[in-house]
Amino acid sequence: MTPAFDAIVIGAGPAGTSAALGLAQRGAKVLLLERGEYPGAKNMFGGMMAYCPAAEQLVPGFWERAPWERAVTKRVLSVLGEGSSTSLVFQAASGSDAASVGAGSTSDRTLTGFTLFRPLFDRWFAEQAVAQGVTLLTDCRAEGLMVRDGSVTGIRLAGSGDVIEAPLVVACDGTLSLMAKEAGLHPGFKPDQVALGVRALYSLSEEEIDRRFGLVGREGTTREFLGCSEGVRGGGFIYTQTDTLSVGMVVHLDSLKERAIPPYELLERFVAGAEVASLLRGARLVEYSAHLLPEAGLRMVPRRSMAGLLVAGDAAGLCYTNGLIQEGMNLAMTSGLIAAQVGAEALAAGDLSARRLARYGKELERSFVLRDLKTFGQAIGFMHHDRLFTAYPQVVSALMEDIYRSDGTPRRKIARVGLRALRGRISARHLIADAYEGGRGYL
Amino acid sequence: MIVDELFDLVSYRIHPEAHIRMNQEVCQGCTHRACTFSCPARCYTYSEERGRVEFAYEACLECGTCLLVCDPGALDWNYPEGGYGVRFRLT
Repeated sequence: MTPAFDAIVIGAGPAGTSAALGLAQRGAKVLLLERGEYPGAKNMFGGMMAYCPAAEQLVPGFWERAPWERAVTKRVLSVLGEGSSTSLVFQAASGSDAASVGAGSTSDRTLTGFTLFRPLFDRWFAEQAVAQGVTLLTDCRAEGLMVRDGSVTGIRLAGSGDVIEAPLVVACDGTLSLMAKEAGLHPGFKPDQVALGVRALYSLSEEEIDRRFGLVGREGTTREFLGCSEGVRGGGFIYTQTDTLSVGMVVHLDSLKERAIPPYELLERFVAGAEVASLLRGARLVEYSAHLLPEAGLRMVPRRSMAGLLVAGDAAGLCYTNGLIQEGMNLAMTSGLIAAQVGAEALAAGDLSARRLARYGKELERSFVLRDLKTFGQAIGFMHHDRLFTAYPQVVSALMEDIYRSDGTPRRKIARVGLRALRGRISARHLIADAYEGGRGYL
Repeated sequence: MIVDELFDLVSYRIHPEAHIRMNQEVCQGCTHRACTFSCPARCYTYSEERGRVEFAYEACLECGTCLLVCDPGALDWNYPEGGYGVRFRLT
């Protein structure tokens, strides 16, 4: 019997829906499986999606139509100290007076990210795929892959044990990447390769958010905080949506395990801190969620394909932070689109061999997706030093406090103040090693 | 304090059977009990009385933290059946 579908995509997140949409646009009959009641039901992300061209290639007029919350033009990184906080503020030129609200209120979209809610966004995005002929099956969990003679030939559903066959399977099943693991593409991940994100969602009026964060129109901001994770490698964040705030922490799982601090307790103390508490005053807590993020860069990117199988998005480890930027959704959508391009060509050629599908990895290597992971490979490794999250924030705070302190004693030049701030916190040996490694990672 | 409130705000459709199963034989040999403090949903608690970690799957947020922090073989780990488990709704 001929299979009813050319391709089965597992997971209706940004990677999976991009892959399904892209395949359908190229004439393939696609089945998109989602284990939640609706796409996005399992996703806690209330973060920011960086602009990426793949979105508009998949859905013309994407940014005019997609249900995003605010166009992020202000990015703030703050170091929290005991008696002060020090921030670096990036503000893209505001275009709020321009009549382009639906398209984002800024003039330069490439400097803009978009905050969005995945339960709303994923559902809308999957509707675009359905409109292009994709068959979406929700409440449906793929339990495993069907493999014959070294080729993936379909999937097995949990519960019923039913088998659905298709010449191509695209696994976009998220960070744990259980499908690729079963196929032997990776051995399973370790705590030092992932980060745990916990998030509390707060409701606050749009006007009050505008006022507290200094925003106009549909513009939004992201705030990242260092020095608030009690020795655990990680940090805090606040993302502004239209009338809600996503407030949470992302911590390296190995570090959390070592320090033995429950993540919700870290979160509790983070939101109770003076600076965050003042931003949240009067806001109502409405939801809590948790999720794992791949964070080891190329160190954890599995083999991305085998005969009959492609892996995209978080499931392929395509997510990273280098300290200043956090990328995931854009990499997921771009990898999903590339999987669709390579997959559709392979289907048309009737060749789903490992060799043919390896073109997917080659295309990823040519795209910004793997090039960025490579560019920041060392920086991603650098993010795994405890000192960056403990001693250095203290140094920054001590330095800035000394610079601004006016107590009647004579001031000193900044180099002297800096040495004093370092004393007892970071040894010369570590400072030199970190400067060298950091320099290699970023410069 | 918000911690206790947090857990009450999550919406679930609970399946009658647990999607994660502990292998108590492996767990008895565990020295770190990382599940009891790493799980963001506080699903694992140590019972002094029974001398072992107890697991309540109903509040699981399906993040996978326990799968990675626990010793190999300690958990038979799956996502819940399709349509069951946590559902994020933003309200």
